[in-house]
Amino acid sequence: MQCVIRNIIRKSRGGISAKEQVVDADILLIGRGNDCGIHLQDPRVLLRHAELTLRKGDVYVAPASGADVRVNGNLTQMVKLSVGDVIRIGPYDLTLEANDQHGKVTIAVELIDALAEDLGLILAQSAIRTGRISLRAMSWAFAIIVLAALFVAPLVTNLFHVSSPSNTLMSRSESNVAAAPTEMWSSGGISAAHKFFGESCETCHVTPFVPVQDITCLGCHESVEHHADPVKFAFASFEGRACQSCHKEHQGNQTIALSNQDFCVDCHKDFAARAPKSELLPVADFGTAHPEFKPTVVTDAALLAFNRDQFISATSPPREDSSLDFPHSKHLRAEGVRDPARGNVQLKCQNCHQPEGGGAYMLPISFEKHCHQCHALKFDVYVPDRELTHGKPEEMFKQVSDVYDAVAMRGGYEEPEAPPLIRRRAGEPLTPTQKKEALDWSAEKTNAILNGRFGKGQCDGCHKIFETTASSGPTGAGWGVEPVLASTNWYPKARFDHGRHRDMQCETCHQAKLSVASSDVLMPSISTCRSCHGGEHATDKVPSTCISCHGFHRKGLDPMKKTAAEAHGPVSKPVAKP
Amino acid sequence: MRESILIYRNHLYLKLAALVSLVATTAYVWHTPFERPNGGTWLGYTLGVVAGGLMIWLAWFGVRKRKYGIGKLRLEDWLSAHVYMGLALAIVATLHAGFQLNWNVHSALYVLMMIVIISGIVGVYFYIRFPIMLTENRRGMTAEVMLTQITDLDREIRQLAMGLDDATNAAVLKASQETIVGTTLFSQLRGFDEDCETTQARRFVEDSEGSGESTSRRQLLTRLVRKEELLKRIRRDVQLRCLLKTWLICHVPFSVAALMALAVHVVTVFYYW
Repeated sequence: MQCVIRNIIRKSRGGISAKEQVVDADILLIGRGNDCGIHLQDPRVLLRHAELTLRKGDVYVAPASGADVRVNGNLTQMVKLSVGDVIRIGPYDLTLEANDQHGKVTIAVELIDALAEDLGLILAQSAIRTGRISLRAMSWAFAIIVLAALFVAPLVTNLFHVSSPSNTLMSRSESNVAAAPTEMWSSGGISAAHKFFGESCETCHVTPFVPVQDITCLGCHESVEHHADPVKFAFASFEGRACQSCHKEHQGNQTIALSNQDFCVDCHKDFAARAPKSELLPVADFGTAHPEFKPTVVTDAALLAFNRDQFISATSPPREDSSLDFPHSKHLRAEGVRDPARGNVQLKCQNCHQPEGGGAYMLPISFEKHCHQCHALKFDVYVPDRELTHGKPEEMFKQVSDVYDAVAMRGGYEEPEAPPLIRRRAGEPLTPTQKKEALDWSAEKTNAILNGRFGKGQCDGCHKIFETTASSGPTGAGWGVEPVLASTNWYPKARFDHGRHRDMQCETCHQAKLSVASSDVLMPSISTCRSCHGGEHATDKVPSTCISCHGFHRKGLDPMKKTAAEAHGPVSKPVAKP
Repeated sequence: MRESILIYRNHLYLKLAALVSLVATTAYVWHTPFERPNGGTWLGYTLGVVAGGLMIWLAWFGVRKRKYGIGKLRLEDWLSAHVYMGLALAIVATLHAGFQLNWNVHSALYVLMMIVIISGIVGVYFYIRFPIMLTENRRGMTAEVMLTQITDLDREIRQLAMGLDDATNAAVLKASQETIVGTTLFSQLRGFDEDCETTQARRFVEDSEGSGESTSRRQLLTRLVRKEELLKRIRRDVQLRCLLKTWLICHVPFSVAALMALAVHVVTVFYYW
């Protein structure tokens, strides 16, 4: 095969030039390799890309294994070429221009797709310059985003929120209130007690740019009392101080009440100098500088007289005259007490002293619940089903005389010393003379019982009995029972919660087993408390501040703040919002 | 900018900033309000005014540095003071907040301010180290010059590979056709590309050593190694310049955002007084 290869070069101005070359070979190789008849100088062409062969005057093209060869655009295997066919090899087009069928062919070779210029290519697909961003535009954008998100959006949406009628405090119980959009302006968490409305800012912050006013607090806390009598102790009236000067809100999920001992100690440490009229003793720290406790005790039950003079740990300790005789030691003795129904029973404090519902204090003791089981007020073994009614001495005479009148009328009374008339067979009728005799016996018996060991004697076991010259007296038997008054709270100025101390033993604080007299005041002294509790800054004890036991606003005193109506006099027209 | 801004005037501004921080910290420790320390106590308000004033003054540096030759202090004074007072601000503002952070606008201000301060610390490092690192990396050439060298190398590499086997030729062609630097911000900041086509081609040529034509292979390999090294340096150059730019984008717009948040903070605190 003799092949004329026309290398076509297109000029930039449109002209075409061709360089011709003649090659003689049986098989004409096409490729990058130096041994190829049609030598294509481009890296995109394989060393041996394809070959041309002549068979019976026709030219055939056959791609090398795996090589990409297209004839007239179609990917192909070995194919016969006609004049005008275009073979695409890499970036080259090879056109069969002529074939004389006698072994002479002309092929035009043209580079169609030159390799791109390197620098341009790299720059086109790379980015070696940093991005161009306007700092000024970005700064403006950031500032506007901050202003819009943190200020304008909450301010505008809050206008709709405030005007919603469901957001007043009073309607709160009916529906859950959505958080105000301005909640993001809150400087810190709402106190636990105010959380239920705390998401609605305008509940307290009534007017923008005006501090929260007392009148708003008084909407709920109208009755909050003074700390001290404002007339006697004007310096402790806190006149002119706003509620929020002490009660700081937005301090997180805790109580809004100040618990700092320094706040109290500031006045109470040199108290005599500050308030000469006061009887309060100076105090600086519960653990190290707090006076001994002084219990409030009953000094005369009949006159309802109390007194708080003596320290609990004084050498002659305070005694309570409740007019009762109840020896704790007898009831709590180790060998137990005799219960008529259950035999020997070991009594515990809890048998009588039971906590009230809240668990802080103890329920009152009652005869019926706590004493009667053992101390039933029976008065005659031959009338075992009858008892005296406790607490009603004035009914006692009638109760007993009714019993013996009935016994006298019916007969069958089994007491050996009783006259035969009363011991007669039950139901045997009486003559009028016998009837009188029987009733005389009844009156005598009633008197004997009331003044005997099951009447006066039985009451005397626990109560003080007084004799009276009047023939009858309260009981109708010439004697009466002194009124009883026992303290329910010996330390009324402090709070104590039994519930929070429920894992302690009663005896740890109350020495009841050793108490032989009911006048003993079984209250602990400060040293007992101090075995566990220290002052606010204690590190080895339970840190306890003033308000752990004492209240600041004192019950019984007048309200600390005037309401709007009190401050402005009778309201004739709506008072303007502060 | 040189390292000397840190030791400028015998650490004058470091001492000033330390004094401000010390006074604020002492006052904070000494002051024991009844409630948790917060921005609403008298000390809280005082520290707040100081911190707010510092923020505005620090931002004024952006204006001052564009106006040459005004005022008594030189720009070096301003910059040295800007750096140290920025650090003092972090302390004063934290004490003003009483270490309380919540999901609110006030903490948003704190976070924005801390972004600016921390980016400032990073910026000091960048501006002290990067000019040296850039110069060392460039060795007197710009990225454009290095790229021109690469294109020259590519031409030689292709020429050499032309005579070699098809697989080598294809790998080398791909490497020259797909030389890519940068593209995305991420790849610019990354600064290297261990799977770069050039590296792959170099590995291929290394692995296929001994399969004939050892002279042209060795020549090809040395050029590929050289190209790879140039690419590494270009990528490093792009990385350093991109970091500087990114730093500026962090520091400046965030400082403007923090100023706006400061205004919102002050207004909202008194809106709900």
